Amino acid sequence: MTCEEFERVLPELEGGHNTEQEAHLKSCSACSGLVSDLNAISQQARLLQGSEEPSPWVWNSIELALRQDGLIHQSSRERARALAPLLSWKLRWLVPLAAVFLVAFGVLIRQRGTVQPPVSVATETGSIQPTETVAMASEDQQLLNTVAARMPSMRAAYESNLLAVNAYIRDAEQSAHSNPNDEVAQQYLMSAYEQKAMVYEMALDRSLP
Amino acid sequence: MYRKQSATMFAVAMVLVLVGSAAGETTRQEFHFKVGHRASVSIVNQYGPISVKSGPGKQVSVTAILYSGKVEIDQSKTGNRVSVVSHLLDGSDAETGRVDYEVLVPSDASVTLHSATGPLHVEKLHGDVIVEGNTALVDVRDVSAGHVHVKTLNGAVTLTNVSDAHVEITSVGGDVALNAVNGSLVHVNSSSGKIHYDGDFGDEGDYSLTSHSGDIEAIAPSYASIEVVARSVQGKVENDFPLQPEHTSFIARAGSAFAGTMGKAASSVKLLSFSGKIHLKKR
Repeated sequence: MTCEEFERVLPELEGGHNTEQEAHLKSCSACSGLVSDLNAISQQARLLQGSEEPSPWVWNSIELALRQDGLIHQSSRERARALAPLLSWKLRWLVPLAAVFLVAFGVLIRQRGTVQPPVSVATETGSIQPTETVAMASEDQQLLNTVAARMPSMRAAYESNLLAVNAYIRDAEQSAHSNPNDEVAQQYLMSAYEQKAMVYEMALDRSLP
Repeated sequence: MYRKQSATMFAVAMVLVLVGSAAGETTRQEFHFKVGHRASVSIVNQYGPISVKSGPGKQVSVTAILYSGKVEIDQSKTGNRVSVVSHLLDGSDAETGRVDYEVLVPSDASVTLHSATGPLHVEKLHGDVIVEGNTALVDVRDVSAGHVHVKTLNGAVTLTNVSDAHVEITSVGGDVALNAVNGSLVHVNSSSGKIHYDGDFGDEGDYSLTSHSGDIEAIAPSYASIEVVARSVQGKVENDFPLQPEHTSFIARAGSAFAGTMGKAASSVKLLSFSGKIHLKKR
């Protein structure tokens, strides 16, 4: 079993591991470390469920995500805080769960960054982009699997394009987060997401067989 | 020596027979459709070039060269809408599934082209032009008064002499070159491809050239009338024009950002890159 296969079945390992998975955990320190981290986070999350009010960091993260999606257009800290008492009784269990997922995602990114070898991205012109260790989100993996099934010869091209576009989004998100009132930073972000949307659209275009 | 000459001639003859056999695999098909004003023509061709030009009369003429029996052409016409699709059969690949299209359409027709490999060529139209290709080279020229939308993953895009148009180009890794392109809106969004603009930023338009790491070079005349902002977060920014300062929230930084106006500031120009170099050059 490879690390990739193990990570794919990881969400389903609630009741325990089979022999193949056990053998992989024993032989792979990265995957066993990841499972340990996730178990620790899960245990800590149970302690969070009793908390009265989530920390401001959680609200900041949710607000940033909403602004990036264009659902809110101005600083809405006051609005979020005003809504918090109304929503807290409903979201009390959702918010720590969201925190768990955010932290787990961050751990996954960190783990993948130490496990995967660098990936070189070659462009059409033949020049080699700087190596980057990037975690491919599960949606991206699903897209690549779809492309591989329909157009096997295009899989490599789509993978390199997704890596380039994800790097663009990462840089643009960082810039927008650092400069939330900067219109130019917002435009970078919109352009980056537009690129990602285009790649998905072209990959899934039903016009092409 | 006579035997050697005979052997050589025999070998040449065999090669000609083989080539003839291979060439015999290609078939030519033609379709003609009568259409009215502002017809809509859609061509989907996974492998192979598509060339669309303006033709006489009110008809759409399609000439297709099929490279093997592993591809067939599905064509249909519904009202003023014509659709042509290269239907790949089992076992086809980029060579056996290739079809070359030459298409003539009325000049006011709108065309939509899809191809993975291309190249794709459109010229002398004033309807809408929508082109989508994965690695296809895209060449659009002498087009006016319509929408021009181009999307490629790594295919290079060249627009030449496109006027009074609404232009949107998105390419991940393909270089984009705009020569004499003007319109009410000209937007180019590239990730790693270079963007080259050579024109006068006319038509009181909204011009936006944005990239992640691709360099941006814009060449304009000294009489250009523009309001320009340019910024590269990590790359170098150069400007050949003496700009008038303007009241704006945009923060100019020597070497990485500049803003200002020229002439009557009729058009808005944004040159934005995350890590590419930007150069606004004087022609």
